[in-house]
Amino acid sequence: MLFGRKNRKPIVIPAKQVKEWKYTTCNYCSTGCVIEIGVDEDKKIVTSRGHAGADVNRGKLCIKGLLEHDLFNSPGRGTEPLIRKKHYEAFEKTTWDTALDTSAEKIKEIQAKYGRDAFAVVSTGQLLTEEFYTLGKLVRGCIGTNNYDGNTTLCMASAVSGYKRSFGSDGPPGCYDDFEHTHCFMAFGSNLPEQHPVIYWRLKEALEKRKFPLIVVDPRVTMLAQFADIHLPITPGTDCVLINAMMHVIINEGLQDQDYIDANTQGFDEIKALVQDYDPKSAQHVCGIDEDTIRNVARIYANAPSAMSIWTMGINQSTHGSDGVCNINNLNLITGNIGKPGGTSLSITGQCNAMGTREWSSCSGLPGYRALEKPEHREEIANFWGIDSEFFPEKRGLTQTDIFPAIEAGLIKGLWLVATNPLTSMPNQARIRKAFENLEFLVVQDVYEDVETNKYSHVYFPASVWAEKEGCHTNTERRVNLISNVIPPYANSKPDFWIFNEMAKRFENGKKIKFPEQPEEAFNEMKHLSKGAGRTLDISGMSYEKIIAARGIQWPYREGDEGLKGEARLYGDGKFQTPNGKANLIPVKFFNNNEQPCKEYPFWLNSGRVVEHFHTRTRTGKIGNCNKFSPTPYMEMNPDAANDLGIAHQSYVRLTSRRGDAVVMVQLTQRVPRNMVFIPFHFHDCVNRLTLGLLDPYSRQPAFKQCSVRIEQVDQEEAARTNVESRTY
Amino acid sequence: MSEIKDPVQSFDPATAKLGEEQKGRSNHWEVRTQEQPYAFLPEQPIKDQNRYGQLIDLVELTGLDANRPMFINDNPEVGSNPNRNKQHGFFFTADNCIGCHACEAACSEKNENPAHIAFRSVGYVEGGSYPDYKRMNISMACNHCDDPVCLKGCPTRAYTKHAEYGAVLQDPETCFGCGYCTWVCPYNAPQLDPIKGQVSKCNMCVDRLEVGLKPSCVSACIGNALDFGVIENTPENREQCKTSIPGFPDPEITHPNIRFQQTKTMPMEMSRTDSMPIKYHRDEKGSYKPVVDQKQGKARFWNLSRLNSRENPLVLFTLFAQAAFGLFSIPFVAALFGIAPFVEFMSSDMFFVLCVVSVVFTAFGLLMSVTHLGKPMRFYRGFNNLRHSPMAREGFGLSMLAAGGGLTALFALPLNQTINQWLSDWFDFDLTVLSSSLNLQNYILGAGLFALISGIGGIYYMCRCYRIKARPFWDHWQTGTSFVGNSLSLGATFAGAIIVSTILVQGADVTQALVVLLSCFSIGLAIEAIGLIGHNHDMNRAEHEGAASHYVQCTTFGKTYVMRNWLLGLNLIASLGLLTLASEGFSTFWILAAWIALALVNIFTAAIGRALFYILVIPTTMPGAFFWKNKGFEDHARDIGLANNPATGVAPLHH
Repeated sequence: MLFGRKNRKPIVIPAKQVKEWKYTTCNYCSTGCVIEIGVDEDKKIVTSRGHAGADVNRGKLCIKGLLEHDLFNSPGRGTEPLIRKKHYEAFEKTTWDTALDTSAEKIKEIQAKYGRDAFAVVSTGQLLTEEFYTLGKLVRGCIGTNNYDGNTTLCMASAVSGYKRSFGSDGPPGCYDDFEHTHCFMAFGSNLPEQHPVIYWRLKEALEKRKFPLIVVDPRVTMLAQFADIHLPITPGTDCVLINAMMHVIINEGLQDQDYIDANTQGFDEIKALVQDYDPKSAQHVCGIDEDTIRNVARIYANAPSAMSIWTMGINQSTHGSDGVCNINNLNLITGNIGKPGGTSLSITGQCNAMGTREWSSCSGLPGYRALEKPEHREEIANFWGIDSEFFPEKRGLTQTDIFPAIEAGLIKGLWLVATNPLTSMPNQARIRKAFENLEFLVVQDVYEDVETNKYSHVYFPASVWAEKEGCHTNTERRVNLISNVIPPYANSKPDFWIFNEMAKRFENGKKIKFPEQPEEAFNEMKHLSKGAGRTLDISGMSYEKIIAARGIQWPYREGDEGLKGEARLYGDGKFQTPNGKANLIPVKFFNNNEQPCKEYPFWLNSGRVVEHFHTRTRTGKIGNCNKFSPTPYMEMNPDAANDLGIAHQSYVRLTSRRGDAVVMVQLTQRVPRNMVFIPFHFHDCVNRLTLGLLDPYSRQPAFKQCSVRIEQVDQEEAARTNVESRTY
Repeated sequence: MSEIKDPVQSFDPATAKLGEEQKGRSNHWEVRTQEQPYAFLPEQPIKDQNRYGQLIDLVELTGLDANRPMFINDNPEVGSNPNRNKQHGFFFTADNCIGCHACEAACSEKNENPAHIAFRSVGYVEGGSYPDYKRMNISMACNHCDDPVCLKGCPTRAYTKHAEYGAVLQDPETCFGCGYCTWVCPYNAPQLDPIKGQVSKCNMCVDRLEVGLKPSCVSACIGNALDFGVIENTPENREQCKTSIPGFPDPEITHPNIRFQQTKTMPMEMSRTDSMPIKYHRDEKGSYKPVVDQKQGKARFWNLSRLNSRENPLVLFTLFAQAAFGLFSIPFVAALFGIAPFVEFMSSDMFFVLCVVSVVFTAFGLLMSVTHLGKPMRFYRGFNNLRHSPMAREGFGLSMLAAGGGLTALFALPLNQTINQWLSDWFDFDLTVLSSSLNLQNYILGAGLFALISGIGGIYYMCRCYRIKARPFWDHWQTGTSFVGNSLSLGATFAGAIIVSTILVQGADVTQALVVLLSCFSIGLAIEAIGLIGHNHDMNRAEHEGAASHYVQCTTFGKTYVMRNWLLGLNLIASLGLLTLASEGFSTFWILAAWIALALVNIFTAAIGRALFYILVIPTTMPGAFFWKNKGFEDHARDIGLANNPATGVAPLHH
């Protein structure tokens, strides 16, 4: 001890007294980090830590994961099932039996009166895969509505659609290990440091070992854009033009991998013809990137021994998201960058189990990437479940974004929402609110009873969360990982798995189809359904035990596979899931149907994530050490633009669009251009009061990121009061 | 640990070794399953001295036994870290920080901190113009300085700088929540919790260090920005080892144990998003210096209601203590110099009253300072660090002023005819019996001198308390002129009230007393005014946080500031006029009436001046973020009630 001190003061540091560490996977985003939850002698959760032996995160966690174990006892959690006759009446507590019976009766009543498809189900990317599979069984096999979708339509539908169109099947072909091998990394509308911090760390680790060019396409100077060797501040919604112009350079300069193209793709001539219309000289005026930069980037990408592209919502959430994905696939196919180490087209997924719902929930078809459109698939599943295949529709029904217009049109009268919050998450909130008012019956199944959408429900099912349940997730790189059941469900909440099983008992087919009691039995059914020659989505070699031993296994991992590793990459053999095994090169013609800034609404409105919040803030808004970093809605605005309008830093403003208005606090920063503002999407009664959300023609995903707004001054005291009122739960 | 070079290679689950993580390590912390190389402290050659010439081996420096346990949570085991007696520090690669809050979250999780308290915080500076825009995030906790100003400032001795790791640790159970360490620390490391009423801070994760693991914030870092090790060691893969980056305060203040890498070129000017009117400008050497950022324009406001702050008790404390010191000292010193009316006053019955009033003022001031504490019942700990802390010495000096004043009164009591009369009338008690053998005049002189010297010490250390390098607005000689000036002007006012009324009752001539007292009053005003002129001159020319404070003084409180200056100036002129009239024998009545008016104006201006002094100070803290560590947002959240939700991370103030 220094400075003449002789008596030591006691050193007290909180000690967590962990008795046992329980294995789980994070329940927020799709990175798929493994978390060990520490429980004490009384089985109480006292701490958590990243699993240092897990390949995905190697011990690292982001802010949300580090604090995730604080969420179990959050305020606002649902304790008992609730029921009421009208949405404007007060809820009454009820029993699970009454809640389930009432819901089943109402579903049947609506279906009898208006037709089977008049009751819709919209789920999520947040459940466990076994739960998705069970929900699929319930909806496709028992309830029998074709209007069944997941909220993945708001985030990954375009990636799914683009993968299917290019490669014949969904499934990201790359993995995080590609960072270690690539010679050029290009990110389209993806801000890893903010949205997928641990994936960013994997990239950073690779970069520290071996420098390779980092190219970032983003209209906003995100941290990733700032760290990029080349930042392309693109005009919103013009990525197709940029990629076409890059391909123009590559093809006209003969930089493409012709051997790969000839052996493994079809449609090259059409692409070659199309890109002649996208000379960088003319393209530069559309996409806002000068022709020299386009040429430079195209050459770097094509000349790299291996190059990879990642993308997130900057591509997916646009009116041509699916086309954008196809075009990124085109770029990688013509440069021979699919299925090889460091060469890939990797969509960075949003929700923790968006992949699980895509694979197994039957939302867009039938389990295991099977299609309703294929009679042999309908037959196979019907036989396996023990029902008549005629019960299945012959083609896919409405997506989430088409279900709401169908409610407006009176075609859908009842809705069951599972772990999703459309009143906050859907574009054009005013329209969604009206749709809710038109429903005869709404069931909301959620972890939180204060979830905003619950304002319009007739029955509320309190669901258990994360480690109150057991089951699997699949992450961005196709890695199946396990969540162990660490603590019992909160109050009288129930695992979603149990809720679906109980609901199934109330339907005719539910008595024919087996609904196992344990998630692992459902997992075994999925394993069985994943077998088949040439299938990529094959998990038949996995078991819960093996998954824990391996800290997650990537599919395909087939029965009889040696070791504990699945295949790191898809399509390494050049064989795709198309009828003739060749990948499709799909010419993408640019069209511009976005709402553009104009005299009346002069600003682009861009939206996106912040690292401390997840989705509609139902969870992170209650964890103080997350929420404190953005406790109220705010907007990034260029100081020069603000100066023109007399708007001060950290004051409130009102934004108006053709849909409505929103009040936010202004953060002035040169991170955004003079004609654009950026608002995090997490807050209720905020950005989605303004958004337009035109739909992609293929994926039906809304274009959250392109619309226009006007900015007006507002009375500061009233705005502050509104702000506080909107933040109370 | 260090033999695993390539982390990618370690991920074949079939070959991963399990169950040997704790081998050869002490039991202070459970090492994670298959812990990764990044989490372990590296083995590197260690220098003998740091760049400031301080020995890095603290056992060599202190001569303590190398194998002493730290007794973390009473654990008697000695840590297994071979370098445990070396000074350690953080290494921050500013080029890499992505501002993801993982370090803050890992810290808060480990230390179980509520949302409004954080041992580590990330803020940022930004500059340039779209798309050539750069943001630099800065993650900062305690720098476990060579010269820990917190340790030296703390009056309770809550701080210890340990030979183990050179960790500067603070014991919240010793702390009484005065918050002085939060004033002196240039990096905002100690955290005063207004709810718990005590300070806590970064503990360097010494439990993890003992087993050879880096602190949990470092282990959690996602951007590969934070690192940790023996000081002056440059981590693997890093090329610089600097002591400063834009936004970081002058390292000469404390010799902080943090090193930086920042190789990427930043724009000429980096601004802060928080409400502090400070930005950073690159000088010809390439280092960044703070300059005033005129965020609120140049318009002047009154903002009188904002003069009312949670520092109100300190406004009262300092003013009453200074008034008490002047009240006692002016007549006492005047009497020592043999000035007749004061010599006579000292032998009058009213001298006892003056002493008592002085004691009451001091006691009231000290009581106010105690109410400012987070844990007022621990007030007695305030003298535990007389060796280093100016605050402990200030408190001690003023307590001794009160004690000396009290003793003086006590010794004056037997000579006080009025009180003796009362005692014998009412209690039939004769005090002089007890004291007849004592030489009371000498005792009074001795006790008075003791009070005088204590008071001088108290006021001197009161000034020293505010001469804080991390608070340039205060670290100016004007603090001294303000305190001495107010001691004289307020002391003369209250002394005048007692002495002049005594002389008037006695029917004697007050002219000489008035001249002396008015002189003190005027000198007090003049000293204060000179200080303010000098302060204004220096702050207008400075380019640091003090200049930013002065900018706020001239804008947000501009009208109030100008009014105070005019009133003070006019008051000085008027009091000099009054002094001239008094010495020429002008009507006592009118002089007294005028002086009462001037004295009231002086009390008003002194209170405004002192309130401004506390409200305006801008410390050399790290830049904040848009919400977190943004004083403007914190005030707003409290004003509008958002702070009532604990998840907002802004503690409501209960004062």
